[in-house]
Amino acid sequence: MATPATTAAHAPGASEDTGLWSWLTTVDHKKIGILYLYTALFYLMVGGLEAALIRTQLAKPNLSVVSAETYNQLFTMHGTTMVFLVVMPLSAAFFNYLIPLQIGARDVAFPRLNAFSYWVYALGGLFITLPIFFGVAPNGGWFGYAPLSGPTYGSGFNMDFWVLGLQILGISSLAAAFNFITTIINLRAPGMTLMRMPMFTWMSFVVQFLVILAFPVITAALFFLQFDRFFGTNFYVVQAGGDPLLWQHLFWVFGHPEVYILILPAFGLVSEVLPTNSRKPLFGYNVMAYSGMMIGFLGFGVWAHHMFAVGLGPVADSIFSLSTMLIGLPTGVKIFNWIATMYGGSLRFPASMKFAIGLIAMFTIGGISGVMHSSPPSDLQQTDTYFVVAHFHYVLYGGAMMGIFSGIYHYFPKITGRLMNERLGTWHFWLNFIGLNLTFFPMHFSGMLGMPRRIYTYDAGQGWELFNLMSTGGTYLLIVAGLVFAYNFFVSRAKGAVAGSDPWGAPTLEWSIPSPPPDYNFAQIPEVTSRYPLWDLKTPDRTAGLEHSHGDAGAIAAAHAVPVHEETERRTAKELGIPMPVNTIKPFMVALGIIVMFSGLIVLHAGKFPLAMATMLGGGAFMVASLYAWLTSPLE
Amino acid sequence: MPKLHLRRLPPVAVVALALLALAACGGEYPNSTFSHNTELNDGAVFLWDRMMLLGTIVFVVVEVLLVYTIFKFRRREGGPPPSQVTGNAVLEITWTAIPALILVFLAVPTVRTIFENQRIAPTGALQVEVIGHQWWWEFRYPQYGFTTANELYLPIGRTVNFSLRTRDVLHSFWIPQMGGKRDLIANRVNHIWFTPKADLASAAMNGACVEYCGSSHANMRFRAFTVAPADFAKWVAHQQTNSAGSPAALAAAQAADSAATAARSAVPVKAASLVPVSAQAPHPALSPAPEAWLFPADKMPAFTWPQTPLPATKFDAALLAAGDPTAGRALLTNPANLGKAPCLTCHVVKGETNYVNDDQARGPNLTHIGTRHTFAAGLYRTDAKTLALWIKNAPAMKPGSVMPTFGVGEYNALIKMTVPAAAGLDDRQIADIVAYLMTLK
Repeated sequence: MATPATTAAHAPGASEDTGLWSWLTTVDHKKIGILYLYTALFYLMVGGLEAALIRTQLAKPNLSVVSAETYNQLFTMHGTTMVFLVVMPLSAAFFNYLIPLQIGARDVAFPRLNAFSYWVYALGGLFITLPIFFGVAPNGGWFGYAPLSGPTYGSGFNMDFWVLGLQILGISSLAAAFNFITTIINLRAPGMTLMRMPMFTWMSFVVQFLVILAFPVITAALFFLQFDRFFGTNFYVVQAGGDPLLWQHLFWVFGHPEVYILILPAFGLVSEVLPTNSRKPLFGYNVMAYSGMMIGFLGFGVWAHHMFAVGLGPVADSIFSLSTMLIGLPTGVKIFNWIATMYGGSLRFPASMKFAIGLIAMFTIGGISGVMHSSPPSDLQQTDTYFVVAHFHYVLYGGAMMGIFSGIYHYFPKITGRLMNERLGTWHFWLNFIGLNLTFFPMHFSGMLGMPRRIYTYDAGQGWELFNLMSTGGTYLLIVAGLVFAYNFFVSRAKGAVAGSDPWGAPTLEWSIPSPPPDYNFAQIPEVTSRYPLWDLKTPDRTAGLEHSHGDAGAIAAAHAVPVHEETERRTAKELGIPMPVNTIKPFMVALGIIVMFSGLIVLHAGKFPLAMATMLGGGAFMVASLYAWLTSPLE
Repeated sequence: MPKLHLRRLPPVAVVALALLALAACGGEYPNSTFSHNTELNDGAVFLWDRMMLLGTIVFVVVEVLLVYTIFKFRRREGGPPPSQVTGNAVLEITWTAIPALILVFLAVPTVRTIFENQRIAPTGALQVEVIGHQWWWEFRYPQYGFTTANELYLPIGRTVNFSLRTRDVLHSFWIPQMGGKRDLIANRVNHIWFTPKADLASAAMNGACVEYCGSSHANMRFRAFTVAPADFAKWVAHQQTNSAGSPAALAAAQAADSAATAARSAVPVKAASLVPVSAQAPHPALSPAPEAWLFPADKMPAFTWPQTPLPATKFDAALLAAGDPTAGRALLTNPANLGKAPCLTCHVVKGETNYVNDDQARGPNLTHIGTRHTFAAGLYRTDAKTLALWIKNAPAMKPGSVMPTFGVGEYNALIKMTVPAAAGLDDRQIADIVAYLMTLK
């Protein structure tokens, strides 16, 4: 399908085609990254509003701001939204935007598959979010424990949307993961060995493997549930002898690596921000890369620490206890190495650096409370209480979100060509920092003082009132912080100071090209001779102690690679003779077909068999036809 | 807009933490997990204390290093150029080895405690079967042959071994003051045991379901009473009997023509009658019934009394006061009324014509409902007015409750319909039933 976006030769920047059609059809990893960013920030707002309602309901004992059923939908959707529609896609925004730039590539390996991943995510997000407006949002918790999520006890449409929505989102994550693995393995610039990759790319690389190993497990678990719900099988139907623990094992075999899928990209971002603003190479690069791998590997061996209350027996409890303690070690090493990176440096504190340091300070708290969960006799008093809620919000908000905010402040100038306002950034940081501690620190207390999770109300006099009121106040502060961020984001995007190609004096390739980068990224592929190519060029003394070597001459010649240099000229791909992938609507159409196909199952549940078959077959046929059209049309 | 500096971070953090610590020390915490009431929780608290100590050391070391680095190495005009260290193997091994060593001090007592806690319970332990339902607790005392609900009595100084199972979705059993929790899992029987220490005072405490189980998960609470062994024996002896309102007692009362001096029967424990059972002939009183013993209401602290707000539903107090227990009993037990008052198709009242047994019952055993301080899984105080409102429209008082709406003209939110006059109970009938329930002591 020919599209208007590609027919006219255009210069990037002001004259770039930015119409709706160009966004629907784009295959440019940078534009897709921006789509991910905006979509995920939108869902951050949705998830934040859900949190605000939850906290308002809990501000005082026996309030009735929302009903029990609404509350249950809200906490289910808050968790589901934040995990699958906010933190993972925000990470994906950075994967998309940065990985090709950091490794000196012109795009990802499969640009159209990349567009497909985004559209499946965007449409799947709507699929799982829209039901809340009709009062049928998922209500079985983000963990969907059987048999509550099954056909007997969850007979409404609510959990249909959850099961199918997660299946859809899994397709997106898996497609993206294969794409990035292929990209990182194959498209690195000459001389960029694995051990010269920027740490963000390293952590992303590890994360993609976690995705392709963990998501098939949840996919299988969801298939069982899907068959139970729609086709009368009995995997988790307890009346027929089904085993609810099967679900728990499968869910957490996915669920725990998922935690590292959420946190490692943030670790990667911070590992870019800290050296740049310390003017010092990352301390212990090798150990940082290996510890990331170690965390990923051990992450598959700790799942049953979510199940200590299940009664797995002393042997299993002991083994999972010890493996959980063990995973604290590579995580601790990262903390110390970050501090050592700053130690002896020349520190500057833009907002990105404040958030990076915020991650170190806050993640440490979440890490320590995490080790506390590793001891089952003590964990049995903590699990399913607000202490756990405190713990994982320190990890996911104090860790992942802090790191992502750091990354947004750091890379905003690269993406938009303009700097974010530092003063507003400082306000955002402090409101966020105080709000986060005010919200989540008191939860340690309410939890250890006996407050269970997931309760929509509680009686006065239980010793929880003050802590709940503090948490609610903190949540409102976080909303104010979010508004400051949003204001800063949009005003800076329009009127911020022009950034130039390298506003922070950063060491990696993405800063050697104009901001925002031209659609082909690199006019000439650079040849990399060390981990910090741009510092080699600008401040050679900073990298004098590092190993430098030239790569294979044949590969360099084949890629037409030239020594690392700053590119300032903006010419079109056509002028430069760089072949670019053609924009296409087909990935969007395939994604749409998938959504329609899955929607047929909801119709089936409603008892309208012919319509359900029509929807499924129609969606399936549309998907296959679009896929065929996609595969038979040339990339370039 | 004041300019903010990183150097304000430590004071802010210190002030916030100090405020929290103050808050934590200033109040009453009736559900604290830090009690030493059982040997089970001794182990948990020991490990907590050790982790708290080690964790605090790690926290302080990391944050002090971090803050020191931030201040020491901030960029200054004419400051020294940044050092270009890229790593240090000795340092990195050190800060891996030290945490590893710290973890050993945690791992050894952890594993030891795991195996101690999960031994088979000692013989002679009190056996209690805990059965979870959406959304209430069934407690059976198999050694004494009776079933009760939502209120748990535990003798001080005797090990109690809970076997946990569920009739529907997953639940989790937790008395924070007594120790950790254990899940109730369909198609499995789980166990947890502990001993309320011999030197404990008699006390009332709260328990809760802590595994999300649907609409009224928050409303699945219970009360636990630790009582002296002698009191426990009295409570058991009474719970084993049929209630004061059962046929034998009522017959005796009618014979004496005075409901106020109801005699009590002491029929030995039997399995509840199975469906369908013809109306039982009144039993002669076999022997004097033991006096009802229950945890004294005046010793229950405020936090154990439910504070759930009552719905706006109206109920005439005069009607309630005029409630006739005999008429109420007739409503419940006469098969002709099953369409209107099918109470005994879901509940068991030992000694009455039951249509289900305890294994089939969907609602709590009501044999001694009049001796329970709370009902509806600890959500409401047991008094005539609240019971009447509950029978009138239970789903309005407990979201998702499978107890139907019985009041004529009331709206049942669960099935989205208003109860028609033909199928429901009017307020007078409800008052009669309540009067009967209040005799079930």
